Amino acid sequence: MNASQDKAIQVASICRRYGDVMAVDDVSFDVGHGEFVSLLGPSGCGKTTTLRMIAGFIMASDGTIRVNGRDVTHLPPEKREVGFVFQNYALWPHMTVAENVAFGLKLRKRDKAFISRKIEESLGVTGLSGYEDRLPRQLSGGQQQRVALARALALEPQLLLMDEPLSNLDRALRVAMRRELKQLQSRLKMTTLYVTHDQEEALSMSDRVVIMNRGKIARVARPSEVYDDPQSEFVADFVGTTNFFDGTVTAASGGVLTVRTRGNLDLQLTVPTSADVGEPVRVLLRPERIRIYPPGQDGPNVFPGRISFVEYYGPTIRYTVQLDGGESVYVETHNASGAATIGDAVRIGIEPGDFRLIRSEGGRP
Amino acid sequence: MAAPLLLAPALVALLIFVVMPLLWVARTSFNQGVDGAYMVSAMTMDNYVRFLGSSWYLINTLWFSIRIAIVATVISVLLGYPVALFIAQTRGLQKSILMTMVLAPLLIGLVTLVYGWIVIFRGGGLLNSLMIAIGVYDEPVRYMWDLKGVVILLVYIGMPYIVLSLLDSIERINPSFVEAARNVGANRWRAFWSITFPLTLPGLYAGLVIVFTLNFSAFAVPLMVGANDTQMIGLVIYREALLNNDLPFASSLSVIMILANATILTGMAFLFGKLILNRLEAKR
Repeated sequence: MNASQDKAIQVASICRRYGDVMAVDDVSFDVGHGEFVSLLGPSGCGKTTTLRMIAGFIMASDGTIRVNGRDVTHLPPEKREVGFVFQNYALWPHMTVAENVAFGLKLRKRDKAFISRKIEESLGVTGLSGYEDRLPRQLSGGQQQRVALARALALEPQLLLMDEPLSNLDRALRVAMRRELKQLQSRLKMTTLYVTHDQEEALSMSDRVVIMNRGKIARVARPSEVYDDPQSEFVADFVGTTNFFDGTVTAASGGVLTVRTRGNLDLQLTVPTSADVGEPVRVLLRPERIRIYPPGQDGPNVFPGRISFVEYYGPTIRYTVQLDGGESVYVETHNASGAATIGDAVRIGIEPGDFRLIRSEGGRP
Repeated sequence: MAAPLLLAPALVALLIFVVMPLLWVARTSFNQGVDGAYMVSAMTMDNYVRFLGSSWYLINTLWFSIRIAIVATVISVLLGYPVALFIAQTRGLQKSILMTMVLAPLLIGLVTLVYGWIVIFRGGGLLNSLMIAIGVYDEPVRYMWDLKGVVILLVYIGMPYIVLSLLDSIERINPSFVEAARNVGANRWRAFWSITFPLTLPGLYAGLVIVFTLNFSAFAVPLMVGANDTQMIGLVIYREALLNNDLPFASSLSVIMILANATILTGMAFLFGKLILNRLEAKR
């Protein structure tokens, strides 16, 4: 077995041009068998175009796409044998649930007994037994999405492509379906490539996340790596909330970097990234890594400030703290201890290991 | 309180211009026609018997009209369907130009249209000159004052309605329906027949109802380009009412025409309901 057959999907340098615009620009990634990979990015980043090129709805302008080692780059969609679940479900409105599920099986000329067993099986798996004779318009959005999934699963595809399948559902249902979908995927060991703009969805469901921006891949990594070590401004900003400090390295000794920020804070960092004294850098810090102390506390990485804004989320509270040096930071805490209010004088404290460092690119401070 | 008031003008107009004339026609159809006079009030079935009892009328007027209407409607659909499919894929200026071309017959008055066609289709007209010049045939072919001309013109006038109503249906079809079909293994052809075509049936039905009715009751076209043997029912009604001055007979023909059309449309509604409409329309 050669290397290419080890992968369920191999996308190599695919591009899609629309006139002068590169919607997808030299994108390459792999998906292993049984793996759940998300394509995550803001709208217009090329994630859906990439997915649609793999399905064959859009032809790649350049590059190659392999599915289980087979080059499908120039094949029409009906020859690719990949499952696809659409954002708008795309159930055929003139066919019943059973007819929707059976359509692909009939095209494959399977016998009647086989088809009805498959209908029963796939509707059972998606929790829709008893809905066989309903028409799509008689179902709720969540039920329609289950039918769309059943329709794809009935053909036992080696690969399932999903295009924002939950984005048309309301939040509670979306979260429930997300969990159910992930459990089903794990149970069936179904290789899945999942497009979403919802970072929570991508982080909670995926084995790996491919983050795209402006037609290019910004990062490919496991969810925890993406969040805890974004490695770029775009990823840090797009996934979760991040505090940025611009500054210059003023000292580097014994694995500890000192960065003097524009607001004249001296940050003590213990990060794996190395930097030279005098180098301009950008320091990242997740809001939940910051602790709030009452006034009086002192030490390294403890800075005085005043609470300027409070956002109450329920389980967590996000404070905006205006630091005395002029910078302001987001701080997110559990809703446990006594809440601070706007105008309170506080001190914030940061562990040196919680910072992340980005070396400024192209001389930008 | 406001809603019925808003309806009132339309209801009054409907009553005066549609319901009352229809009732008058229905009543008149039982009157006695008299040569050289207006008519005599009566309660007789004579006019109906005269038409329905005559195999000549039944074959050469009623059945003839139905046949011509079916042929012209079917040809309109066969020609109009691909046109609608094509226009649905176009955008912007290209679409505007194509739509204008399709709608042209509706924008030009029928009389202007027909006389324009006569210039093209008559014995020594453009079409015949061209066909003889390039050697398709040697003798001029008779299009005008002939059945061929009637059918050609009915098709030409009917096509815009077919294209418009189909276009509406086609453009309502979510493109992902076809993609989903391709995804589960249907080629273009199969995806068209299993998904696109059934979903255009509501539009086709709407177009058929309009065009069949127009064709079945056609009057101006057979009058202007028909021959002596193109006795379509609308033309016969006109002749009996205005030339022969036999209003009762013309009225009975009108009633028969309306009932025949209603019967055919009911059959069509039943057929299309079975085929697709019952599935697509919400049950109450």
